[in-house]
Amino acid sequence: MTRNTKICGTTLCGIMAALMGGGLLLAPVVGMAQQTASQQGNPEDAVFPLTTKSPEARRLAEESLWLSVDRAERKESAEILRKALQIDPEFAMAHEFSALISQNSADQLSEQEKASATRNHASPPEQMAIEWLQDAADNKLMSAIPKMNVLLRQYPHDKRVVWMAVLWLRRQTQYERAIAVYEGSGIADSPGLMNNTAYNYAHIRQFNKAFAMMDQYVAALPNDANPQDSYAEILRMAGLFDRAIEHYRAALAINPQFYASQFGIADTYALMGDQVRARREYAIGFQKFSALELQEIRWRTREATTFIREGDYEGAGRAFQAIADYARSRQNGRAESDTYRQMAIYQQNPKQALIFLDKAEAVARKAGNPLKIAMVQELAQILRARVEVDLKMGKKKMADSDVARLAKMSESSGDKQIEVEYHGANGAVLFSQHKYDEAISHLEEDPDNPFSLRLLVVAYQKIGYSAGAKWASEILANLNDPTLEQALVVPAFRKCYDTPACSDHAKAAPLHR
Amino acid sequence: MRSGRSFLALVAWVVILPCVLHARQLAIITDKTNTTTNLTAADLVKIFNARSRNWPDGKLIIVVVRDPSCTEMQLVLRKLLNMTPEQASAFIQAHHEAIVVAESDDAVLRFVSTSRGAIGIVDLYSLTQDVNVLKIDGKLPVEQGYLLRGN
Repeated sequence: MTRNTKICGTTLCGIMAALMGGGLLLAPVVGMAQQTASQQGNPEDAVFPLTTKSPEARRLAEESLWLSVDRAERKESAEILRKALQIDPEFAMAHEFSALISQNSADQLSEQEKASATRNHASPPEQMAIEWLQDAADNKLMSAIPKMNVLLRQYPHDKRVVWMAVLWLRRQTQYERAIAVYEGSGIADSPGLMNNTAYNYAHIRQFNKAFAMMDQYVAALPNDANPQDSYAEILRMAGLFDRAIEHYRAALAINPQFYASQFGIADTYALMGDQVRARREYAIGFQKFSALELQEIRWRTREATTFIREGDYEGAGRAFQAIADYARSRQNGRAESDTYRQMAIYQQNPKQALIFLDKAEAVARKAGNPLKIAMVQELAQILRARVEVDLKMGKKKMADSDVARLAKMSESSGDKQIEVEYHGANGAVLFSQHKYDEAISHLEEDPDNPFSLRLLVVAYQKIGYSAGAKWASEILANLNDPTLEQALVVPAFRKCYDTPACSDHAKAAPLHR
Repeated sequence: MRSGRSFLALVAWVVILPCVLHARQLAIITDKTNTTTNLTAADLVKIFNARSRNWPDGKLIIVVVRDPSCTEMQLVLRKLLNMTPEQASAFIQAHHEAIVVAESDDAVLRFVSTSRGAIGIVDLYSLTQDVNVLKIDGKLPVEQGYLLRGN
């Protein structure tokens, strides 16, 4: 840039020169020029390289990506990627794609390591991508983010780079930034990116944009079940339950084996308040489909949650215990531990809650885990639940001590999920001490948790931040996730939402679930 | 041709973008030649209140921010300056020789990376390698207790 301070001789002139040279004033014009340049085939059309000694391996990798990104065929995609890596085991970006596509934590870790180990066989941009995602895996965000942005500047319209960025940003809950990357890419022919962006819009509650994106997604793949299923889920998030069920049924009409839609119907009935119908739909799902173990546990948990929604805690106890027993029979320690933790969460008697938390912790420690971080995450969730129970029982010192343990776990692990647990727990403790300003700074770090959101509403009210209280109230009242936490918090909150007389109850909410 | 003063006023007020709320982390950035690595929250307040106008080496400080009505700025206003958006708008207008409003994080980054003495605020996820990130009270944006985190 040219910065002609000598001629101008004033700070103001220097600023003006910088503004002009730095593109600040010209930003809108530059944006348009980029678009035009792209259309004319300028460097904006740069293609991210895929370096391999085998053209066949490259073709397979590209096919795999298309299947995964645009057709949501992860299993088949992973198979094809494996073939590519058999042909060229030093195909670094194929390892990276494999890490990104995999649903299995151990595979993700292993493939990420292989990508890093083989990156010297790749081109500089590929090395940059691998280092970005390795830094991300190592929780080195300050190093990861600039590398991602370098790639986005170099390849703003490349589908592979945009997909990696959008996927990673969504996992980081950076929905707005992910949307900006997609919208700025100009890519209009990727059903997978449409789907992803629709969810991002839904997460920031811009449902009209999400629906518009979903219309495009459905039109792009009219014979696939997934667009209808995604559309249904977003409608459900928006609280449009009847339309959600219509789209779930449309997905099943296209592909009767698309089991997620059957369970989606059940989840939707649960959120609508029809628990009997919900359980009937879950039963149809379990009968018709032999789901993967973890998914079955997930839906069995939601089925058990229908009893909580009815206020039938005995029924819930039987259903959750059956899940824990099933998980133990399958030697799935994490699922068993997590089930006991959830049983603790809904207990009305804190002593009983502690018994379940002890069980959860014992199972987690005994089971261990191939991934140490997964076990630490589970222990962090248990510890957070302990803090809530401590507060219910008025054991303030114990709560402080548990929060301190969580803080150490968070600092030593650098893990985002553990950090969120720490913030939620510390926010609850500070709230109980009426330190609302301090509580807010922690609770804001846990915005997806109904318990934290409920405290946040009251904390904002306490400090006189009415806009924040209104925002948090609206988010919480309109939360339509079929989770145990939602079942425990949201229906009761909705009853109080427009009733000032309920405010005292809401204030006491953290101590009385 | 416009005068410098009206030109800057245009920069400051021409673009008001709609914003939404969600948890975020903001980074304080300077150009690569700036040797400052850490500021106290009190230092930051002085800089953003235009009470500190020079870096320790004597260079003039130019503050680059987003529109006061924007989410990023609401966090800054609430946690750093204790001003309403309206007060901040008036303040920026009154100090337009030292405070510049940019329409996007990219514009903030471009300006700061090419302007000695500039200091700006961007979303953590907009960071590039062209700028330095300052610690606040010894903490980076990813660390617990960092000042500019939240909604």
